[in-house]
Amino acid sequence: MAGKLKLLVCCGNGAGTSMMIKLNVEKVVKKIGLDVQSIYHCAISEGKSLASQYDVVLCSKNFVPMFQDAEKKGTKIVGLKNVMSVKEIEESLLGAGIK
Amino acid sequence: MEFLIGIWEFFANNILTKPAYLIGFMVLIGYLLLKKPVYDAFSGFIKATVGYMILSVGSSGLVNNFRPILVGLKERFNLSAAVIDPYFGQNAVNAGLSPVFGRTFSNVLILLLIAFIMNLLLVKFKKYTKMRAVFTTGHVQVQQASTAFWLILFCFPFLNDVWILITMGIILGLYWAVGSNLTVEITQELTDGGGFCIAHQQMFGIAIFSKLAEKLKRADGKKLDDIKFPGFLSIFNENIVATSCLMFVFFGIILAVLGKDYLVQSQFLSASDNFFFYTLTTSLNFAVYLSILQLGVRTFVTELTQSFQGISNSFLPGSVPGIDCAAVFGFGSSNAVTVGFIMGALGQFLAILILLLIKSPTLIIAGFVPLFFDNAVIAVYADNRGGIRAAMLFPFISGLIQVFGSALIAGWVGLAAFGGYIGMFDWATVWPIFTVIMKFAGYIGIAIVVLILIIIPQLQYRKRPDTYFLIVEDWEAYKEKTNK
Repeated sequence: MAGKLKLLVCCGNGAGTSMMIKLNVEKVVKKIGLDVQSIYHCAISEGKSLASQYDVVLCSKNFVPMFQDAEKKGTKIVGLKNVMSVKEIEESLLGAGIK
Repeated sequence: MEFLIGIWEFFANNILTKPAYLIGFMVLIGYLLLKKPVYDAFSGFIKATVGYMILSVGSSGLVNNFRPILVGLKERFNLSAAVIDPYFGQNAVNAGLSPVFGRTFSNVLILLLIAFIMNLLLVKFKKYTKMRAVFTTGHVQVQQASTAFWLILFCFPFLNDVWILITMGIILGLYWAVGSNLTVEITQELTDGGGFCIAHQQMFGIAIFSKLAEKLKRADGKKLDDIKFPGFLSIFNENIVATSCLMFVFFGIILAVLGKDYLVQSQFLSASDNFFFYTLTTSLNFAVYLSILQLGVRTFVTELTQSFQGISNSFLPGSVPGIDCAAVFGFGSSNAVTVGFIMGALGQFLAILILLLIKSPTLIIAGFVPLFFDNAVIAVYADNRGGIRAAMLFPFISGLIQVFGSALIAGWVGLAAFGGYIGMFDWATVWPIFTVIMKFAGYIGIAIVVLILIIIPQLQYRKRPDTYFLIVEDWEAYKEKTNK
């Protein structure tokens, strides 16, 4: 993964949880110095159509299967258990080979 | 002096009473208080204001789209129809505030601010209040503040603005602090010390159902994960698809019952139009305007939450943030969300059928948010505490309650006439009870409601005074202590 990354964060309604994840992702990005171009948060509906245009999609674990198509096209899908855990987000991103 | 009054009047006329600028202004002040750079504060102001303007576009679209159905049901059958969904509920308040009470939505935003400050103060003095959680879910705060404002106006129509706002600010702030505080233990347990609790619309519901779920525990410990679901169910995870389907079913039936002749006569469509496609377009338009409205909410709430969170973090170290209930969907069984949705839908549809059979004057139309979020989150908690039986039974019961409770209160307080009610579990149970108390006991009723809310965390504390604060301060230490 080289160059500027585009991250997408999704949750059921695109209002509460995805924004929380986004705020926490921003902390992680600062901490590990990821080269990020943009982070966008939205509802699953919109996210499904947008996913393949992004490098990484983050969502709750239970929504991971919704992004199979984008995964085939090379988008990394990161399922989170605890969306409030900065540590987990950091480990998942690094674990998925996103640097 | 005159000059100062002039400035105040200018501010009141152009900002205080214009919700879009008011919310922008709140964000601007919040960012400046957080010592963010001026350009950040400026862009926050723009995004919040534009976000609210986007919401207004979606809002008026929804109202217009709804008109044929509301007018038709009223004229032909003398029925009111209310969609139970927080966005529709907020919209109904927005549409009704000025004709019914002569107020604007700006009052709602001021109420939100007072309630939030109240919540912060209650947690600041947690030593005495025993309240550990701050409600930070912005879009839910807007929805609840609008419904709460309507309910207090309904109870005390002759009270002046300042007292109305202060009274409801105290009650709503208490509800936020007490409700999210109720979910601390069960959420810590579910998430293994995730460090957050729930700030949403069914906090009392989750707490009660978690308690009840323990009674349904079975020895064989059958888990939800053992069930296989058909793949097509995943389309209902998407709000646009779910809303379109729901609306098409309900409005399709209502429009078919009203009949083409009536709609042509009332000039909602012309005689040459195809009736099926008119119905389809009307149903899908709900999803369109709802998406616009939600985009608006998302735009300004992001700004609002960031400034609120910043303020609460700097002001209250060591408290737990209450967040959106969807945050727990990743915990427990992955099937719980689907089971909750299906069982809740069964409960709601059955209840709607019963309303029709008993000829209720208020017709309820199922909305996506209570159906999905309320019942899914209840299933997650019920499954965690009581297994498969609890996870199936409680969302079903919740579905029944959501419809019956909402039908009673939405009809009574006059929100059904504007086509929507918030409809979430607590707002179909706890809040109707509060409203009854305040309507019939007047000012004494306010005191009773406040007392009820103040007592709840005290009772929680008395159960486990030694670990009550430890559970949020140090989860690992708490686990050690309770296992000994």
